[in-house]
Amino acid sequence: MPATARGGARPEEASPAPSASTSASSCMGTRPEELTARLAAAGPAPGSGCGGAGAGGEEVEHERVRALREIKNQIIGNRTKKLLYLRLGAVPSVVAALAEPGASPAALVQAAAAAGSFACGVEDGARAVLAAGALEHLTRLLAHPDEKVVDASARALRMIYQSRLAPKFDVNSGKNMDFVLSLLDSENENVTELAAAIISHSCESSAEQLSLCSAGVPQKLVSLFGGSMNIRDACLGSVTAVIRNNRDVASRFASTDHGKGFHSVVGLIHDRSPRTRLLACLCLIALGHASPCHFQDKQIKTKLIMVLLELIEEPGHVGDEAPLALTTLIKDSFELQKQALTTNAVEKLSNHLLANPLETRRAVTILLALSELCSKLEESRSQLMSVEVSTLLLEALKHDWADIRIAACSCLKNISRSPKVLSGGRLSCDTVIGPLVQLLNDSSTSVQVAALGAICNIAVNLTPRKSVLLHSGVVSQLVHLSKSMDPMLRLKSVWALRNIMFLLSPKDKDFIVKELTLSTLSSLICDSEHFVQEQTLALVHNLVDGYVDSANYVIGEDGMVMDAIARQLNNASAPGVCIQGMYVLANIAAGNELNKEAVMNVLLPHRVDHIKPSFVVNFLQSKDKQLRVATLWCLLNLIYPKCEASSGRVVRLQNAGVILQVKSMRNDPFLDCKLRVCMVLEHCMDNADDCFM
Amino acid sequence: MFLSRIVLRDLNSIDSPASMASSKKVVTRDEWERKLRDVKIRKEDMNRLVMNFLVTEGFVDAADKFRIESGTQPEIDLATITDRMEVKRAVQSGNVQEAIEKINDLNPTILDTNPQLYFHLQQQKLIELIRVGKINEALEFAQEELAPRGEENQTFLEEIEKTVALLVFEDVKNCPYGELLDVSQRLKTASEVNAAILTSQSHEKDPKLPSLLKMLKWTQNQLDEKAAYPRINDFTTDALEDPSI
Repeated sequence: MPATARGGARPEEASPAPSASTSASSCMGTRPEELTARLAAAGPAPGSGCGGAGAGGEEVEHERVRALREIKNQIIGNRTKKLLYLRLGAVPSVVAALAEPGASPAALVQAAAAAGSFACGVEDGARAVLAAGALEHLTRLLAHPDEKVVDASARALRMIYQSRLAPKFDVNSGKNMDFVLSLLDSENENVTELAAAIISHSCESSAEQLSLCSAGVPQKLVSLFGGSMNIRDACLGSVTAVIRNNRDVASRFASTDHGKGFHSVVGLIHDRSPRTRLLACLCLIALGHASPCHFQDKQIKTKLIMVLLELIEEPGHVGDEAPLALTTLIKDSFELQKQALTTNAVEKLSNHLLANPLETRRAVTILLALSELCSKLEESRSQLMSVEVSTLLLEALKHDWADIRIAACSCLKNISRSPKVLSGGRLSCDTVIGPLVQLLNDSSTSVQVAALGAICNIAVNLTPRKSVLLHSGVVSQLVHLSKSMDPMLRLKSVWALRNIMFLLSPKDKDFIVKELTLSTLSSLICDSEHFVQEQTLALVHNLVDGYVDSANYVIGEDGMVMDAIARQLNNASAPGVCIQGMYVLANIAAGNELNKEAVMNVLLPHRVDHIKPSFVVNFLQSKDKQLRVATLWCLLNLIYPKCEASSGRVVRLQNAGVILQVKSMRNDPFLDCKLRVCMVLEHCMDNADDCFM
Repeated sequence: MFLSRIVLRDLNSIDSPASMASSKKVVTRDEWERKLRDVKIRKEDMNRLVMNFLVTEGFVDAADKFRIESGTQPEIDLATITDRMEVKRAVQSGNVQEAIEKINDLNPTILDTNPQLYFHLQQQKLIELIRVGKINEALEFAQEELAPRGEENQTFLEEIEKTVALLVFEDVKNCPYGELLDVSQRLKTASEVNAAILTSQSHEKDPKLPSLLKMLKWTQNQLDEKAAYPRINDFTTDALEDPSI
């Protein structure tokens, strides 16, 4: 201890005495192990039929209450302590106290509070509490004569139902629905809030939402909007849950009682309380997504944007979540993104971003909102790219928080949809590609996926200046990721390679193929996921585009790649895969005789049995017009230009019934098909020495 | 000749003082006070404002007396104010454990759903231990209780570092983070607790009176651009100051 005096009363402070309760509890023993043991040993409550009533029994009960209270006070707010008590097996004893027939109200209140706290925010806690049977006991206690017990039980149940582990509360059963309705009718606010929590929890399936709607629950919830702030907010949340993604329920809500419910919610977007405003916005957004026809009013949409932009200035949770609500509102909507632009959303959000530290949830949500704002509008992208924001984005790419890195990549992905925004200035492809390539090595898969998304778009925009990409070392990283166990990483890395391959010079194409290797290419064509197969074939499509020699990649080396393509085409793969496959063949067929023959061998392989018709005929009969067109292009390239070999091919196609099929397509509804059909038939006539029928 | 005389006359009228000052409207004190007298405010509204202030700030006895003397109903049950004030008092006296237990008795969900508040209370507990010189206990507490908070939530790490740093210095009051030992820190925590309890009771955490004063200030600032009028510069005295012309 240092010599200088510390502590002791100072005139300006009010009594600095240490807490009285620490000395009291140290007498009792506050070590978790002790408390758990004491609680377990407390045994049945006095007067529960085991004899021992009187002073001895009361003392035991008193002990139990103190132990429960101490445990409760240690665990509330404290995740570490909750986990500790869980490991010590305290939960069953706590829940058992709820089941005691002779338990005093004091014990019940403490036990309920402790049980609720275990379930709050700790999944294992919720699991243990549920396993111990707390749900039934607490539900039974809702009818207890002592109001404090009812309060405690209602709060505990609410905590439990907010956990995703809580069991389904089957609202399809009449009895259960009546129970919920009775809770909604209660005078006790804690009970009503519980009802709202149960409703929010029971809206997973559309059948459940429909049951709740038919029982008039949404209207009941709306009628509670006039209650206290917490009730109102809870009910708003429940209404949102009931209507979410359910067109039927949403439109019924919007039109019942001449739209009374709808108008009530609209009124609440201007409420005094910021949290209420946010919840009301979320409700309307859900309504708009579920039932767009009830949400045509442009005025309301504009108001929503403005209210949300204001809410971003609120401190705490509301301000953190408001940008996310905005993102949901404007997602995929050109009209709303335009509307947001006119209200200066980009500028306002950028200013907020620059004014606050990056390691906050708010920065993440704002970045995501900015990203969405740039997803369709060129003007938003240019507006965003100020010097300050560009610098910040570069910084964000290297940030400690994965969420920030992901959000920054998302921004870059959408910004690079612009042909010109990244072509100069502070944030050019050159400055950005380095950090993005680094992120391909990130420890988090989500970051890698996000970085790949950005690289995909940048690659498109770099045509024809792709040397900067190729020198960045991105190709070897992409090749590495194309062999990943994660299908999403495979997909996006192949996609990026596809985009890079587009209109590339032969020398650069060669470089990429050498890195990737033909055997990897072949296995990717036969990947377990059809979307990876499709992207790979699109990559090959770009590879064999334009230069005759590039077809050698496919046909050469024992035709490894060609075999893979043939296998996929013969295996009734997904339409997208077949379309890309046919375009690859079409491009190869545009080459020399060797190429055309190679394609013919795929279309009409020399088979021992000729029972199975060529997939060509199936493709031509496909409902998918893109597939029909791609196949026709392939055929066209095979029989043009006119020469002896071409005539030979016509005959072979005719023998396989292909030409007959084409003839039947003279009146194809798709104009592009119709045109190609005509061209094919024309060339067939050209090639034929004799007329044919 | 003729033209120039007309022109001179026109120039004269532009230069006259009366029209120079006409950019801002002037309101004399008499006019102003007359206008003010015409504005009707209800006594009940004022009473409710006072009650709202007393209740939100937690002046239970005053609120009860005011209820009896004015007949104004408090917006919330005065009993709950008593509970809230006991908690606030405990924090202000440095009895943090007592405060935590009382909050949990009042509503056990508050600290479970307010991690920042819980952290600040534990931080205050550590500060109090340091204040009375219980260094060993403080170290143990920092390790057992504060460090886990930092693990659970990274945003608390900086605050934890500052508080734990107090343990290093001999002259704590004058060290870099010495302000943590000020009464103001206790008051800050107490205020946070008060707000959380109010919110849990569906009561607004800020009284309405300050908002009105803010509105008044803002309105006067706006009006300043358009008129010269008797301003209230000191809100406590409500004295009207004559307009400067």
